[in-house]
Amino acid sequence: MLKMHNIRKSYRTDTIETHALRDFSLEVNEGEFVSVTGPSGSGKTTFLNIAGLLETPTGGQYLLDGQEVGNLSDRERSHLRNEKIGFIFQGFNLIPDLSLFDNIDVPLRYRGFNAKERRRRIEKSLEQVGLSARAKHLPAQLSGGQQQRVAIARALAGEPRFLLADEPTGNLDSLMARQVMELLEFINQWGTTIVMVTHDPDLARRAHRNIQIVDGQVSDLRQNIAADEAAIA
Amino acid sequence: MIGYYISLALRSLRRTPILSALMVAAIAVGVGAAMTTLTLNYMMSRNALADKDDVLYAVQLDNWDPHEAADNPSEMPWEITYKDAISLLRSDIPTYHVAMHRWGGPITLEDSTLRPYTAQARVTSRDFFALFDVSFVYGGTWAGEADNNAVFQVVLNKSTNEKLFNGENSVGRTINFNGAPFTVVGVVEDWHPSPKVHDLNNGDFMKSADIYIPFGLHRVLEIQTWGNTNGWKPEKIESYEDGLGAEYVWVQYWVQLDSAEQRQRYEDFLTGFIQEQKSQGRFPRPLKFGLSKPSEWLVLNEVVDGDDRMLNWLSLAFLLVCLVNAVALLLAKFLRKAPETGVRRALGASRSAVFSQHLVESGCIGLAGGLIGILLTLAGLALIRQLSMGYMDSVASMDWLMMLSAIGLAILSSLLAGLYPAWRISRTNPSIYLKTQ
Repeated sequence: MLKMHNIRKSYRTDTIETHALRDFSLEVNEGEFVSVTGPSGSGKTTFLNIAGLLETPTGGQYLLDGQEVGNLSDRERSHLRNEKIGFIFQGFNLIPDLSLFDNIDVPLRYRGFNAKERRRRIEKSLEQVGLSARAKHLPAQLSGGQQQRVAIARALAGEPRFLLADEPTGNLDSLMARQVMELLEFINQWGTTIVMVTHDPDLARRAHRNIQIVDGQVSDLRQNIAADEAAIA
Repeated sequence: MIGYYISLALRSLRRTPILSALMVAAIAVGVGAAMTTLTLNYMMSRNALADKDDVLYAVQLDNWDPHEAADNPSEMPWEITYKDAISLLRSDIPTYHVAMHRWGGPITLEDSTLRPYTAQARVTSRDFFALFDVSFVYGGTWAGEADNNAVFQVVLNKSTNEKLFNGENSVGRTINFNGAPFTVVGVVEDWHPSPKVHDLNNGDFMKSADIYIPFGLHRVLEIQTWGNTNGWKPEKIESYEDGLGAEYVWVQYWVQLDSAEQRQRYEDFLTGFIQEQKSQGRFPRPLKFGLSKPSEWLVLNEVVDGDDRMLNWLSLAFLLVCLVNAVALLLAKFLRKAPETGVRRALGASRSAVFSQHLVESGCIGLAGGLIGILLTLAGLALIRQLSMGYMDSVASMDWLMMLSAIGLAILSSLLAGLYPAWRISRTNPSIYLKTQ
């Protein structure tokens, strides 16, 4: 599903060059649920932005669903992002003056669906997150957990094959966090590939695989544990 | 998507009402100022005879001072002498030809309670109505002999007929004009072209005639023009007849020539006429005459002069200043929405989609500015009408074309003002705002 090879990303000012990702290689298979952990500033969000086609790497190769995305135009990247990728953010990123219905409608508008198809998808996704009765409400009228469920509904409405979640439970209490996590697991069971950045080790453990990013480089914890166990034996 | 962008624009305008109002006001004031002067210039430079621009010609003859040309851009007098007008009227080459000038005087009706009032008259040869396409409501023009003989007939315009005869068919009725009885032979539609292209010697934008009098009445009534009379040499004038025979110019002359061949024949006729007059000691300057189409006549007479054009540029410069303000306000407004734009980018909006969305919002602001700009323009024109005390009434008004132009100018201006802010917001890196929302 996702294949990154020797990805580099650096940010340059007049005097300083910062390497956010260095020789970053990662492969995520179709249907996997991968958690990404690592200390602050390690490059987790940069990885997520590159994976979500919001930023372009300085170097390296990135294949999304078998397609090399390095040379795509902005329009092509936007189209690919709209069609194949769903985003869930820590801060929910709902548009405050749009109703839930209209918030979920945003990606569908850019997809070019007709009104009937948009309505069908919006109603279905709201039903999936249990908020059908709140379609006309504004985000501010909902709790944090409900807002995140709306954000998930928005990501689901486009029926993406790949979901990127950036600390989706970071702003939620433990109960809400558990509910959101169960929802993500449920979505994953339907076949959607999920990559989730989190600081919560308990949540990270619930993923199929946990990778850690340190200083812009990736280490696969499961593989590391396996290697450690082999060494001990 | 355009409908979606418009709904987003309206939502965005409601979200920041004060900032939006400021932008609309900036564009409205700029458009109002620009459209006030542009409308004036447009109305002043309108050619009321445009439909016949290819066949009508104002005639000029250069009978002026051998040492100094007439002091105007054409370097020929605007009008011709009475005796030349009479000579030219004898030509059978033009389809129609008109010798005319402005006159006026009191109108009274016998056995009527109507109080005498001063009417504007046009003393003219009979072709006037056919040449200028002035249509008759009742009756028709006077007989051809009235161009050379004293025939006391009159044509009224519709408003005068309304005033004198309550709009009834007045053909055959009698009015007293300047103390003489005239029989009404026709009533025409009110004809007040603005600018008054057929007579630019007596106020470009004043109303035209209320009544029309035959040209052949000069000697009997000793008619003195109410327009300009110009001469270039001292002449001994001891009688009315002396005045008619003098080198004074005071008669306007127009011809209708329907083909190039007809025009060529008329040019040959004028050349021959001038050569003949030269042989009699007149026309001391090099042989020269003018045949100007109405559109050329307006330019020659500088109906819209350099000051008017300068005013146009100044008002457009003011609009530019307003636009610069609008650019700054739009930039502030759009950048405030950068986090939302980041979300839209993440959800699949391309840069061009973001650019289009914000340009549509600029256009909506322009549309609102244009509508308010029309109101400001109407207010500006009303002020001009008030200050000019009626003189500019016919030009200080807005037609549909200018109203549409105002909206077009406002939308175009706002789109131009929105180009840079929309481009800036479309280039914003969305990832910055996704984390910081």
